[in-house]
Amino acid sequence: MQSDRLIAFDNVSKFYGEVLGVNRVTLSIAPGVTSLVGPNGAGKTTLMNLMTGVLHPTKGTIRVLDVPSSDPEKFYRNIGYCSQFDAFPKGLSGYHMIHSMMMLHGFNRREAEERTWKVMERVGMTDAAHRRVAGYSKGMRQRIRLALALAHEPKVLILDEPLNGLDPMARAEVIELFRQFADSGMHVIISSHIMHEVDIVSDSVIMLSGGYVVAEGDIQGVRHEMEEHPIQILIRCDRPAVVASSVFQQDSVVEVRIHTDGHGLLVSTRNPDQFYELLNRIILQHRIAVESVAPADENVNAVYQYLVGSNGAAPL
Amino acid sequence: MAVYKRTYTRYAGPLTDERFRFAILPRYALQSVFGTRFYTGAFVLALVPHLIAMVIIYLRSNVDALATLGIDIRPLQFLSIDGNFFGTLYVVETFISFFLVALLGPGLVSPDLANNAMPLYLSRPFSRAEYVVGKLSVLVIVTSLITWVPGLLLFGLQTALAGLSWSWDNLRLLGGILVGSWLWILTISLIALALSAWIKWRPVAAAALFGVFFVSAGFGAVTNVMLITRWGTLLNLPSAMRMIWRWLFLNETQYRITTPPWGTIPAWTGLLPLLVVCGLALLLLSWKIRPVQVVR
Repeated sequence: MQSDRLIAFDNVSKFYGEVLGVNRVTLSIAPGVTSLVGPNGAGKTTLMNLMTGVLHPTKGTIRVLDVPSSDPEKFYRNIGYCSQFDAFPKGLSGYHMIHSMMMLHGFNRREAEERTWKVMERVGMTDAAHRRVAGYSKGMRQRIRLALALAHEPKVLILDEPLNGLDPMARAEVIELFRQFADSGMHVIISSHIMHEVDIVSDSVIMLSGGYVVAEGDIQGVRHEMEEHPIQILIRCDRPAVVASSVFQQDSVVEVRIHTDGHGLLVSTRNPDQFYELLNRIILQHRIAVESVAPADENVNAVYQYLVGSNGAAPL
Repeated sequence: MAVYKRTYTRYAGPLTDERFRFAILPRYALQSVFGTRFYTGAFVLALVPHLIAMVIIYLRSNVDALATLGIDIRPLQFLSIDGNFFGTLYVVETFISFFLVALLGPGLVSPDLANNAMPLYLSRPFSRAEYVVGKLSVLVIVTSLITWVPGLLLFGLQTALAGLSWSWDNLRLLGGILVGSWLWILTISLIALALSAWIKWRPVAAAALFGVFFVSAGFGAVTNVMLITRWGTLLNLPSAMRMIWRWLFLNETQYRITTPPWGTIPAWTGLLPLLVVCGLALLLLSWKIRPVQVVR
């Protein structure tokens, strides 16, 4: 892919004195939704701050759509950043907040006004536009943060914990918004602790632990490369015992567990493609009524647990 | 179609000049300052010395005309509009502008730091230096309006009433008004910003500003007495500024110390403490104004 469409980290390290932020990160992030996953202190926010140019790497280079942060006018036109903190100067209304930030981007007063109203409408904050930010609820502040990141129409959206504080309806709307942005060719980089939402929204993930990138790519791809952990497949059907006895024909199947309710089984296999072929044959041969077949551990949470351990603190 | 092949179009219109974007910060800050009666009242009070000076200049030039109306203000004829007149006015304004900065300054940077707002400003085409210049300009604009701007108006008024020859003879006053005012404005504004950046609680920051001003005066006097030296005067910021005013308005190259140990010191040395304080304030600001606060 062309470098002007990538966010490229080349051997980037960031140290805060003697404390490690991130170490030897080499990444190329393509358009789409990319999630940064890791526990507190893994380096997610440092990586985001490096991407947004608010931190400079101790070592290595970062280029966002082929522009270095040393060219701020061009660099920040491409980037919309939403920090995880309640970062609002005191006393301003939501409208004034966004309007002034648009003027910092170089839009004239009229253009800034138009953009402010447009983005206020987009995040559903038009009615509360002239209320002071200090009086907003947590969800409203989150929306304003999102509006601040979006208003200048960046190509790269970097959002630190953007779903925090939003109610389920608002979360669904925001996730839908992310998908729209990604589908239009933008980069949407998000960090989140809520793994199932990361699963729903992400095209790819970057997994961090202790300042190191432990895995990156689309989650299925990452999962399939983990050969030491057989893939678990959950089958819901009417006669799990028949299926269980038949799947052991295959050497790659290492474990089968029948559910206590008698309507399902969990198969662990080292070769899922071969297993699916065999399962088709078994179903046809024994006329099994199948309700569902789905991978049980092809998700961010499971992959992260396999890679880093349950507490998420051990480096690879 | 692959995602990366899709196109995304953005605003391609003209942008404002990036050199003047710092002016966005004072615009909103000044709106909120002059939106309150308290600050507006303080600002008007700060103009009083200049208004009095303006009335004196006007009356002094119209003594005869007013006498025909039965208003006898002939004693004013003995007051000359010269370096002494402007020197006295600006020593008074030194204190008044300081009080105004003490009211406004502490609330400029600390709320942004307390609310983690720095990434908000600095993740845009806006640098740390522009942020400091933007915040500084709030104080510079307000204090300019009570120092050199009305000073120039006074100079203009006196020129209009006394003629161009007065202006030519007193050109030094014009330079004094501009150079002295800017020196003082920058010094107190930078100290106020630095204290605002380091002290989150506004009343404490204001108290610290008074401390810098008055404690330095006391410390300077004590140093002079204890060490039997005249150089302790340089630790006293108001005295240092007074030295500069007298140098600029009266061309006094030696400053006479009127307390023990008596003597003189060169007037230009008054610049040193102001420059050192400005440098220290900039250093403190550069340590504190950062896009992210790093907890070590």
